[in-house]
Amino acid sequence: MKLLKCIPIAVLALLNILLSGCASTEKQSLYDEIGGHKTLNTVYGVAITRIYTDPVIGHYFKGVPKKHLRDQLVLQTCELIGGPCEYDGKTMLESHKGLNIKEREFYILVEYVQGAMRDVGLTYQQENRILKKLAPIKYETVYL
Amino acid sequence: MIKRLLLPLLFLSPLANADSGSRLIASGGINGFEGTAGGGITPWAFIGGYTSKEEVNYSANVQYLSLNDYSLTTAGAGISLFDRVEISVQRQRLDISAGLTSNVFALLTDGAVTNANSTTIEQDIVGAKVKLFGDGVFTQNSWAPQIALGAQYKKNRDFDSSLSLPDGTVPLPEVGVPLLLGAKNDSGTDIYLSATKLWLGTPSGYNLLTNLTARYTKANVFGLLGFGAEGNNNAEVEWEGSVAVLISPTTAIGTEFRTQTNRLGGLAEEDTVIDAFIAYFPNKSISITAAYVDLGNLPLQESTSGFYLTVNGNF
Repeated sequence: MKLLKCIPIAVLALLNILLSGCASTEKQSLYDEIGGHKTLNTVYGVAITRIYTDPVIGHYFKGVPKKHLRDQLVLQTCELIGGPCEYDGKTMLESHKGLNIKEREFYILVEYVQGAMRDVGLTYQQENRILKKLAPIKYETVYL
Repeated sequence: MIKRLLLPLLFLSPLANADSGSRLIASGGINGFEGTAGGGITPWAFIGGYTSKEEVNYSANVQYLSLNDYSLTTAGAGISLFDRVEISVQRQRLDISAGLTSNVFALLTDGAVTNANSTTIEQDIVGAKVKLFGDGVFTQNSWAPQIALGAQYKKNRDFDSSLSLPDGTVPLPEVGVPLLLGAKNDSGTDIYLSATKLWLGTPSGYNLLTNLTARYTKANVFGLLGFGAEGNNNAEVEWEGSVAVLISPTTAIGTEFRTQTNRLGGLAEEDTVIDAFIAYFPNKSISITAAYVDLGNLPLQESTSGFYLTVNGNF
């Protein structure tokens, strides 16, 4: 089948188009693209409500004021995705030390944030680009 | 055999949470036609299912590949432990049409025998994979892939199962198709090293998966035509690769290749296998994958290609 031998080439060509579409002219940050502080604040508002009531991970947040956590997460994400913010709170390593958070618990939290981004109306592409920036946090939170 | 192997594994389940696991959806790939998690024709370094370090996941799969005068049906089960180890058992059955076996006899006897029964070649595969290092999903601040080492022990069950004629006679007793084509052994072990990386948000916000696997093997057509050959009984390194894009949270499209050594030659000449697939992951419990596969030459069928369908379950 000659046709099939063309498929890898066709897939590469498609990738090329997708990639070049990405390098568009104006250089808007991901932060501005998704609607800045207002959007991030809504995303974490939705996520935190769910996280605090989760039977597996909710207990970690007992005594942590919702507003404080929400502001910290917004600030941190803002900085990571090109917004005009500078996170000045405790480092992730500091704030998770001694909690012995399990991998499973981290993944549960990731899915809440993912779900909130979807529910707030971010596109799949925006969600993935944000996730790319948040992903390395795993190694600043799990099993410390 | 599959039952005997899986029963002891079931006793492990109280050790940990045994649901489909908490890792990101689609990050376990599918169970390929050899039972190992990854793409359809090549293993990935990712451990099958969605286990975290604290979880255990069971899997089951059925697969069908239609190739004109041949068809391949496989089924199997596996267990993934703590995002570290994956163990699988798979039974493959290659059906060969009567038209094709008749042609084999016609060739062998210079046309004296032109009518033979259809036949099947079965193979069992026991696979084990260990994640060595790396986190191909969450280490997004570096290019480093996840690396896994694996083995597939393969036993051809019809190495010396004779072909019969419609009148019940057996012209070549204890000579199965693999032996007839010049294979030397009925079993072998493939050793492979896989490097896999998921690139989140690339390209253009989609997620891209890349995988490269090196396999050290003596298998002829995956072992379905036995292992090694008279005159060339050496294992060789074969290369396999996958590229896939997650175009939505539940759908991946991609393409794969897998080289083969062509040890037997002649009728059993081997070509590089390629496929193009679409996989659908509606939730973490099930996935459905359809593919178009091109195997190149199979004995007496020069250009072999067809549709592949597999359903995978995780629990």
